[in-house]
Amino acid sequence: MSRTNSVSGSSEAADNFPGGAMASRPVHFIWMLDCSGSMSVNGKIGQLNFAIREAIPEMQQAADANPAASLLVRAISFASGASWHVGEPTPVDSFSWEDVHTYGGTDMGAAFKLVAGALDTPPMPQRALPPVLALASDGQPTDDWRAGLRAIDSTPWGKRAVRVAVAIGDDADKSMLKEFLGNPELEPLQAKNPRQLAAAIRWMSTAVVKDASTPKIEDARPATPVGPPLTKDGEDEIW
Amino acid sequence: MTAVRETPAPAGDWELLRGAVKGVAKKYSQDRCSAKATAGGRAVVLAVADGHGSAPHFRSDMGARWAVEEFTACAEAFAHEAVRVGADAALWPGLRAEARRLPQAVGHRWQRRALLHDANAPAHGASPARRAAARERFERQGAAGTWDFTAYGSTLIGAVLTRQMLLCWQLGDGDIVVIDDGGVPHTPLSTGPDMGDETDSLCEPEPWRKTRTHWQPITGGPPPAVLLSTDGLSKSFADHQGFLDFATGVRERAAQQGVAAVQKQLEDWLERAARYSGDDTTLVAAFAAEHDGAPEQTAQEGTTPA
Repeated sequence: MSRTNSVSGSSEAADNFPGGAMASRPVHFIWMLDCSGSMSVNGKIGQLNFAIREAIPEMQQAADANPAASLLVRAISFASGASWHVGEPTPVDSFSWEDVHTYGGTDMGAAFKLVAGALDTPPMPQRALPPVLALASDGQPTDDWRAGLRAIDSTPWGKRAVRVAVAIGDDADKSMLKEFLGNPELEPLQAKNPRQLAAAIRWMSTAVVKDASTPKIEDARPATPVGPPLTKDGEDEIW
Repeated sequence: MTAVRETPAPAGDWELLRGAVKGVAKKYSQDRCSAKATAGGRAVVLAVADGHGSAPHFRSDMGARWAVEEFTACAEAFAHEAVRVGADAALWPGLRAEARRLPQAVGHRWQRRALLHDANAPAHGASPARRAAARERFERQGAAGTWDFTAYGSTLIGAVLTRQMLLCWQLGDGDIVVIDDGGVPHTPLSTGPDMGDETDSLCEPEPWRKTRTHWQPITGGPPPAVLLSTDGLSKSFADHQGFLDFATGVRERAAQQGVAAVQKQLEDWLERAARYSGDDTTLVAAFAAEHDGAPEQTAQEGTTPA
């Protein structure tokens, strides 16, 4: 016998609909944020917090525009070690931002291993759209980041994830970030001032979300959408 | 040898259902489908194809259409042969061999259409001279050359149903559900849950090598229902059981309310599904028609088709 479509709330008797409950597929979006000591220089960490907070309404709009996907947001901070800043996959509608703070080195590998654990199935469901891994860093990793990256790549969802990265300032390890992206045709975004950082975060929160939320065929690793033009001649390079 | 007395083959051996809706926010659908009776109504050919739709596959609506057309053309010929062979089990090995060859035949025909199209209108643009060179190369090498079919990528699911057998072929994602006399759904070519939206495709080299085939002799009368759908349908349900419940529910409603009544509601149902999957959603089905009168004569082993 058919069941009530619990998602739409309409009853079987009312519409004669056969079948079980329907639901849109989840898109897991995970921030991985560098909270090393260098992020406190020239207000980078403050600008990063500001940019993420300011991007939330646009992220919610991007999610609203695609009801076929349910956007769930989490965040990892890494410095000396890594930990979940927002551990629970949170529906974007109820997502709010609490500031991250700087506290040590740049243990990006630890962050990768942490996210790899979340990308295993379970806990990640098989019925989902590809997750989004959004990485922001201003420096050189201080631990074995390659081992962490291998851990991500060894998970079923990790190798299918949409990956984006922003290099904050000139000291960021762009070649390492490029390796994280896993696509030789892609470059990490570059942010050398607050305006560029805000644009990068906004793009990660909207265009990437929109792209990841759209059902489509992925022949191999999902192609990260082309990023926004961030560098503008004559702009101050603070970082 | 004993002659087979085939029950006259009315057009109503099966009743057919067909529905397709466009994915939410998509400009047009890249799904294509077909459901038709053939061999004087003694066989049914079903097909659905799901063009990939993303930017690299910008001609996949054409690829899906060709997939359905070429499969249907090959499957109709196969269905005529299957009806001719009937229940003569001695001829089944040859039929099975033909069933195994069918994906390659379909693949070659599909590739030829894609090649012709691309030679005349190169997917990535070309000068008149390059177009002429491409056409010349096509004439020389045909499908044996190394060609890029990415723009036309599509999945393909097809089935042939006669009174004696059910044949199914599947390349890529999507679903085939066969409902037995007890109302139990079976998914003969399922490979388990998909991760994301990855799929095998006609645009890959030698796609027939990835085509799965299911052969099911029918001994006690045709299955009450065979349903083929693109993945937009199954992915709209919170779990796989919900999708199977949909398939059995459609069959129940067809039995209780009639296929025509189900056909009227089908588009609404598929539109609801598409809101959750976001994808084009297509379903074709064949239901065994109930006939009044004496039960059908069953064929005997070692008989010669009439």
